[in-house]
Amino acid sequence: MDVALSANGRRVIRVFFALVLVFLYAPIAILLVFSFNKASVPTFPLTGFTFRWYHDFATNREMQAALETSAIVAAISSVIAVALGVLASLGLSRRAFRGKGVVTAFLLIPLVMPLIVLGISLLLLYHELGVPLSLVTITIGHVVISIPYAILVLLPRLEQVDRSLAEAAYDLGAGALTTFRRITLPLILPAVVSAFLIAFTTSFDEYAVASFLAGSRETFPLFLYSQLRFPDKLPQVIAVAVVIMTLTIAVVVGAELWRRRAEARLGEAPTY
Amino acid sequence: MGRGEGGLTVDGTAVEAAAPTARRRRRFDWATPSLLGPPVGWLLVFFLAPIVYVALYSFHVRVLPGSAPGTALSAWHLGTYLPLFWKSVQMSLIVSALVVLVAYPLAYYLALSGTPRKYVLLLVLIAPFLTSYLLRVLAWKVILGDQGVVNWFLTKTGIEAAGHPLSFLLYSRFAVMLVLGYVWLPFVALPIFVTLESLDQRLLEAASDLGASRLQTFRRVTLPLSLPGVVAAFLFVFIPTVGEFVTPSLVGGTSGYMYGNQIHDLFNGGFPDWQTGATLSLFLLGVIAALTFVFVRFLRLGEARVA
Repeated sequence: MDVALSANGRRVIRVFFALVLVFLYAPIAILLVFSFNKASVPTFPLTGFTFRWYHDFATNREMQAALETSAIVAAISSVIAVALGVLASLGLSRRAFRGKGVVTAFLLIPLVMPLIVLGISLLLLYHELGVPLSLVTITIGHVVISIPYAILVLLPRLEQVDRSLAEAAYDLGAGALTTFRRITLPLILPAVVSAFLIAFTTSFDEYAVASFLAGSRETFPLFLYSQLRFPDKLPQVIAVAVVIMTLTIAVVVGAELWRRRAEARLGEAPTY
Repeated sequence: MGRGEGGLTVDGTAVEAAAPTARRRRRFDWATPSLLGPPVGWLLVFFLAPIVYVALYSFHVRVLPGSAPGTALSAWHLGTYLPLFWKSVQMSLIVSALVVLVAYPLAYYLALSGTPRKYVLLLVLIAPFLTSYLLRVLAWKVILGDQGVVNWFLTKTGIEAAGHPLSFLLYSRFAVMLVLGYVWLPFVALPIFVTLESLDQRLLEAASDLGASRLQTFRRVTLPLSLPGVVAAFLFVFIPTVGEFVTPSLVGGTSGYMYGNQIHDLFNGGFPDWQTGATLSLFLLGVIAALTFVFVRFLRLGEARVA
């Protein structure tokens, strides 16, 4: 006998699962449909098929500039966050010291920080220090957001990797850096890639903090938000939405599958 | 420890083996701080110090030029803003509770039914969370508007008369709660799934062997053991939604205005008042810190009980 679910219960829950998936994906599907619809107002009935909105977006300079800005901010902030995350995770997994619990909690606490408060507090800091708002100020905020995520991905992986491998390298005369580069890094590489992608997509999509810390250059979410106020821009925005959603889902799902395969190849059960 | 004539190799290896240990022990003094220093330092400067500034502003230790003079106490005009805060708390509580209720059976099914595709299904469930937040909100604008998909469907099927759309669908408290639930639902399944997945399934079998029905097993064994995951999931939704300002500003109109919008407007609105904004932020932070603290205590208690 199945102790968790009866046959009927299983059926009911499956139907429920399917309904939830419809609820989750229908809005995305509706955006997809409207991105090919001729009318400039996204409403039924559909008026005909067009690539016009995709064309418009491909030639919209402002939008491209915003995408570029976001790509820069996301790339830099995720590299810094992952580097700091690797350092922190190495320290937490390989070192014994007093107050480890407090340090761990402190490194993870930004997870429960409301983004609006993070944005405001950094705004006050910059104001006090006289730092002008720019892409740098946004990037710094995004690093704060991403550090805990990076640690949450990297730490379980490091706990899993056999530490005697690094010790063996060390005993064979490799320095700390060489050991890390040749032994530890290759073993945790899948997790590093995951952490990077999570940090990148988080930053690329981040609106709340950026809205307080942006200088003259807009990131893509800021641009998007400003466009939502103009109804005639909507179809174009929807077209971009579809492109970006498809890309992120493809990249993230692809990376996740790759990570699981890679970690399986490295000889341990994958961490999820 | 000198190298004797005999057993040279043995001594040699012994010396070799001792050297790295000594080296490691000397290293120990700087390795930990050099690993943890940069990340901790980053958060001290860009996370903790800014919070200190928020506190300084809200207690009027730091005052902005042009802001109304006042003492620390009068800065706490909480009386004015408390009703709004309470409204936001209510909205978030309802959203978090509903979302956890919906996500629990899904996580339960994935973790305990023995379905072979559980990780694929989990990924399918979570994937929408990884797509753009603003665009998911935008989708609901398209669906709920007066000319939106829902109203079109209702008119088409004759349920509602043409020209009389259900206008409460968009720019309302309902819209804010629906969209917040939509946005956070995929994320919430994860912590519940993780606790259920790590649960020792032999306990369920034992309960069943001892004559407990499925419902009894669930109520007496599975549910209590998965409670930490449920509470974590609840907080993971409650904390970001209670300070939310993006969703209400897009689909909330005036009736969906939340505490976060108030804070936002005090900083970025037409009449900025950073002092009050900082005060409201600090209050929000205090409430969340208290909640997190209670949750961590609850977890410890649970661990102690299990042990």
